[in-house]
Amino acid sequence: MANDKLVIALPKGRILEEAMPLVRAAGIEPEAAFDDPNARQLRFCTNFPGVDIIRVRSFDVATFVAFGAAHLGIAGNDVLMEFDYPELYAPLDLRIGACRLAVAESVDLGADDDPARWSHIRVATKYPEITRRHFARRGVQAECIKLNGAMELAPALGLCRRIVDLVSSGKTLVANGLVEVEHIADITSRLVVNRPALKTRPEELGAWIERFREVANAR
Amino acid sequence: MADFAKRALLPAGLRDILPPGAAFEAHVIETLTAFFAANGYERVKPPLIEFEEGLLSGSGAAMSGQTFRVMDPLSHRMMGVRADMTLQVARIATTRLVNTPRPLRLAYAGQVLRVKGAQLRPARQFAQAGIELIGASTPTADAEVVLLAAEALIALGIGGVSVDLNVPTLVRAIFDEMEVDTAQRGILRDALNRKDAATVAAAGGRVGALLTGLLAAGGTCAPAMAALGKLDLPPAAALARDTLAEVIERVRTGAPDLTLTVDPVEHRGFEYHAGVGFAIFARGAAGELGRGGRYLAGEGLGVPATGATLFVDALIEILSPPSPTLRILLPVGTARSVARDLQCQQWVTVGALEPVADLVAEARRMGCSHAYLDNRPVAVDVNS
Repeated sequence: MANDKLVIALPKGRILEEAMPLVRAAGIEPEAAFDDPNARQLRFCTNFPGVDIIRVRSFDVATFVAFGAAHLGIAGNDVLMEFDYPELYAPLDLRIGACRLAVAESVDLGADDDPARWSHIRVATKYPEITRRHFARRGVQAECIKLNGAMELAPALGLCRRIVDLVSSGKTLVANGLVEVEHIADITSRLVVNRPALKTRPEELGAWIERFREVANAR
Repeated sequence: MADFAKRALLPAGLRDILPPGAAFEAHVIETLTAFFAANGYERVKPPLIEFEEGLLSGSGAAMSGQTFRVMDPLSHRMMGVRADMTLQVARIATTRLVNTPRPLRLAYAGQVLRVKGAQLRPARQFAQAGIELIGASTPTADAEVVLLAAEALIALGIGGVSVDLNVPTLVRAIFDEMEVDTAQRGILRDALNRKDAATVAAAGGRVGALLTGLLAAGGTCAPAMAALGKLDLPPAAALARDTLAEVIERVRTGAPDLTLTVDPVEHRGFEYHAGVGFAIFARGAAGELGRGGRYLAGEGLGVPATGATLFVDALIEILSPPSPTLRILLPVGTARSVARDLQCQQWVTVGALEPVADLVAEARRMGCSHAYLDNRPVAVDVNS
């Protein structure tokens, strides 16, 4: 069968640095090209002949796993909340990549703004679904402008007055004259599993989940 | 030309199925319904569209958001296009066939239309084939439906079939007996749907430990049932677990080689189920191939029923395409008896409409594998 190999999707960038020690502790060692910054390769063999690793953008980890193109993956629950794929299970909190999703606005606006009185707001964000859902629960009309990065620039340049973004230390906000005004959710990275794969290969995937659980709990 | 091509575009999620796909779909549906018929399930054919109150009452409410509506210009009442056939068949069983002896076994196949496609399968119109077993509440009835659904896929030639069994009444009973309030149920449901053990433990309160135990129990059948057996469940939940165990035992006996998994917290799409439910998967398939389970048919208290629906479009995706048929081009004026004889030998005959100089070249152009020359089939070399 074409997809008989187990494929693990890992996110590029920030989370990867924290995820790799867990992956290695679980006994998975990718081929040398994985750590070579000049390599163009996207799919990598590992020390397990039946296990491959792919490296994709963090939003795409959820998509690859949800559609069964990859079987396991590591994704932040920001991505999981945004897509809410029914075919995706997140059985394990790896407790890495911790940060929070928050609403921020410019310091000047923040001084006399009362979030409880908002009725209609315009927000720049990478997370239009989470943002809409969050404000809908509060009865606030949110008009979202989808950006893929550098959200912090939007208020200063007049694109909109508020943003919804990930905040870890808060330094980027401060550097751009922004202040956090509302907390939406705490974010950590999760081990995600494709539902049909878990149902059809229960022993194999169950064993990997267990292995990651032991590794994550040992930290 | 560009304009014309654009006009031929269909609304999202709808498509024309071309040769050989359309014939293949028909073949798959025929194989399934023949299998069901051979097992005593008699075919019924409900209409494509019917009054909304009938279609969406009781358990049908679950499909309300997925149903297209139109107003009937004759009666001025709202009608709905079926988004699922199970409830139509249940309606037939509890109204027109109310006096037919129970248990009643009915089969169906047909197209359904949905307002929105699923993420995995964006099609809004697709074929369903299924069975309903009405008026029997025993584990033997549940097991019969599970076994037939799985065997129907095996009859189609699908390998690596696996059935995931669940019992949505279990978590419901825990929530009821331990008096979990609506808001907390919502949070826990969401977390359970994602198998998010961390959130379940954090938000679970006094049911947290029990739900975490249920989550951890899910997986391969035997260890899962052993783990469930060890949990200290409230009485109604324990009853649900015991019923599940009885059904599994019968399925095991009926199909010892079938892969079985258990998911004690499965809920999505089983909101209206009243007992053991199941979803069918196969290795290499991107999503569910079918699902089913126990529900209450008809109005009021309802009649115990169980059934299974197979998703024909999902089946077709993992089946290998049909092998090309032997297709022969007959010269114009060939006797009908020749065509009939060839058809009896499994040939597909295509008649030329006018005389051609090179029959073999014409056969190749028309996508035929053979040409009928000098009273015998001559193979067409398709690559030349």
